[in-house]
Amino acid sequence: MNDGREELDDLREAVREFLAAKSPESAVRAASQAGYDPAVWDQMARQLRLSGLALPGHYGGDGFGLTELEVVLEEMGAALLCSPFFATAVLAAQALLASADEAACARYLPGIAAGQVTATLAAAEANASWDPAMVTARAERTPDGWVLTGKKSFVLDGATADLLLVVARSTAGPGLFAVDRGAPGLRAEPMTTLDPTRPMAVLTFDRVPAVLVGAEGQAGRLMTRVLDLACVALAAEQAGGARRCLEMSAGYARTRYQFGRPIGAFQAVKHKCADMLVRVELAEATAREAARLADEGAPDFPVAAATAHITCSQAYTFAAAENIQVHGGIGFTWEHTAHLYFRRAKSSELLFGGPAVCHERLLDRLGI
Amino acid sequence: MPDDLQEFTRQAREFLDAHASRAAERAAFRWGEGDDRVAYFGADPPEVEERKLRAARDWQRTRYTSGFGWISGPPEYGGRGLTPVHELVYDGIESEYDIPDTGTLSVIGLGMIGPTILAHGQQSVRDSYLPAMYRGDVIACQLFSEPEAGSDLASLQTRAVAREGSWILDGQKVWTSVAQHSQIGMALCRTDPDAPKHRGITAFLVDMSSPGVDVRPLRQMSGGSDFNEVFLTGVRVPDDHRLGEVNGGWRVALTTLMNERAAVGSEGSGPVAEALSPERLSALMRATWTWDDRAVRRDLSELLAGVMATAHLNARAFRRMQAGVAPGPEMSVAKLMYAQNLTRAAHFVSHVLGPRIIADTGEWGTYAWAELLLATPALRILGGTEEIMKNILAERVLGLPREPGIDTTSPFRELPRSGATS
Repeated sequence: MNDGREELDDLREAVREFLAAKSPESAVRAASQAGYDPAVWDQMARQLRLSGLALPGHYGGDGFGLTELEVVLEEMGAALLCSPFFATAVLAAQALLASADEAACARYLPGIAAGQVTATLAAAEANASWDPAMVTARAERTPDGWVLTGKKSFVLDGATADLLLVVARSTAGPGLFAVDRGAPGLRAEPMTTLDPTRPMAVLTFDRVPAVLVGAEGQAGRLMTRVLDLACVALAAEQAGGARRCLEMSAGYARTRYQFGRPIGAFQAVKHKCADMLVRVELAEATAREAARLADEGAPDFPVAAATAHITCSQAYTFAAAENIQVHGGIGFTWEHTAHLYFRRAKSSELLFGGPAVCHERLLDRLGI
Repeated sequence: MPDDLQEFTRQAREFLDAHASRAAERAAFRWGEGDDRVAYFGADPPEVEERKLRAARDWQRTRYTSGFGWISGPPEYGGRGLTPVHELVYDGIESEYDIPDTGTLSVIGLGMIGPTILAHGQQSVRDSYLPAMYRGDVIACQLFSEPEAGSDLASLQTRAVAREGSWILDGQKVWTSVAQHSQIGMALCRTDPDAPKHRGITAFLVDMSSPGVDVRPLRQMSGGSDFNEVFLTGVRVPDDHRLGEVNGGWRVALTTLMNERAAVGSEGSGPVAEALSPERLSALMRATWTWDDRAVRRDLSELLAGVMATAHLNARAFRRMQAGVAPGPEMSVAKLMYAQNLTRAAHFVSHVLGPRIIADTGEWGTYAWAELLLATPALRILGGTEEIMKNILAERVLGLPREPGIDTTSPFRELPRSGATS
């Protein structure tokens, strides 16, 4: 599966087995109602050491790269795992690393690596933009340190995360700040979400004490880097989810009989499945190539990240919608899993702004 | 990289440094400078074509005499006896050099028919043709498609009848690339019309200079003639030029076609690829004042994302092959995407150009795109139509059942055909 690298196949197999046992559909539905299962989070961190997989060794991680993380995220996406993993190990951890603030990394990353701390990144506000230039939340320096005032929306796992990394504006411009969950003046309210497997929250800050991460006013460049990495990580989840939709459709087309034959024998259905396969192959290729380029520090990584985001978003949305079509009536029922993938696909496609911004992001990364 | 590959790489570079020059850094693209032709098909004037063909043969001979003409071929026929991975590595290195395009020889002859002769040819034929082909002396073409046998190749009607130790061939082939340059052609013929269609076919190697072989250029919708019709009238073929068993030609054809998919899917460079580069397309947008049109920019992004995703798919397939992993469906997917990307690009450019692509104003880099636009319908047909490719992906990769009702058991002569009244 993975360019002939057996250790990646082993990792994939281990994660797949774990998720088959710990995140079957029944668990996904339960977690959609009641939130993620802390016991599973704990096992993921301790048994599989996933939270620290792609963190540097001196911060308690195992020092692997995005290539390995990509494998894990593909499987999580395929299983629709409900977990603060993406928010913690991708958004928050990568924001800390991108800040190059060694004190902050040493303070927060070991807890993340050990699975003791969940974290998230609060960047977007009510206008849903991830562009730091659009941030209105304010950071103010007081004799006792920084305090934050304002409102953040669409914060992944924002109601449960132990550590919040918040983009807020000081006189020097947008900067990154760390806030503890119990901080005074902080209120978190869950949002009603299209995708119940990925909880989001609105956070209200009323003079909440915070710690500056990195240099003041530096969140612009930092967020460009974090968004590129987050797009690739999300692309991996999307590729995994799209592959699962394809498998469901092909399996159903082989076994569902109408007019006295499996529906997969009809060319209209066959070609639909082939179209899904084409998109899934492209999605996997772009997600994996982008991860590889990130690990190599290649200059064309940002272009590859934007390409992966567009390709995987389109592939997953297409596969999730066509999966329902291949299943027909049963695919539109609440009981069937197809809608859970449809919800996840749409929510992933639009999380970072969707087509309204991702195409300009690609052209921007290409210098056009 | 294993030691022998490193040593092989060193030898390849030494050879190329001695016989070719490194491709110059491509000069930065400037609007209005240089050749503005965007061609998928060749269609050169005859004297240019002749010159290019000579250069291609010369370069193939140079490769051959230095041990790079048939890297994965067996030594007894002039091959180097190395692996397909070595072949890939060599191709990668050679692409860094300025060398003549050998496509006329290599795509069909060396890429598809050579391996078929090696697998199914009789000893005398292997001895006489294989070294000559890989030395650049003999060009081969593929006499497969017929007017009544397109996607359903197995329904071909060209007859071969045994007579006095030879075979007599009668029929018509079509869409034959490079037939006008070829010394030999691989022909599929009906040898038993009473057998089911796949079991009554035999493959032959035809000497294209034999009496009764008539090659006529076929003019395609884009205006040029890149293909031929080949009429076979009482053409005599000795029995030792038969490939495989009598009535076992379908298996032989599959060997050839397997190699075709690998060859077609890997196209990804050349003038067309350059025309689709982000810098070229954005220059076009600047020149046409569509630079900041949001709808056009969105279309450009969609197009470039598709082109780059396909490049990533190819890169991944290449790395997997290098690592010795069996190829997955990437090649078939890449072929579908190649056609889709080029088609989309031609229409994107046409929308940017507007009326300037329906009538020639003489302006550089505008009406020139009409040539690509008129070539794109071919891409979804040649080398297996889009519909057939999707059937193959669905059946072979996803395990979906075959279309019911396709008759593979009745005698060929009883099958319904186009134009027959019931």
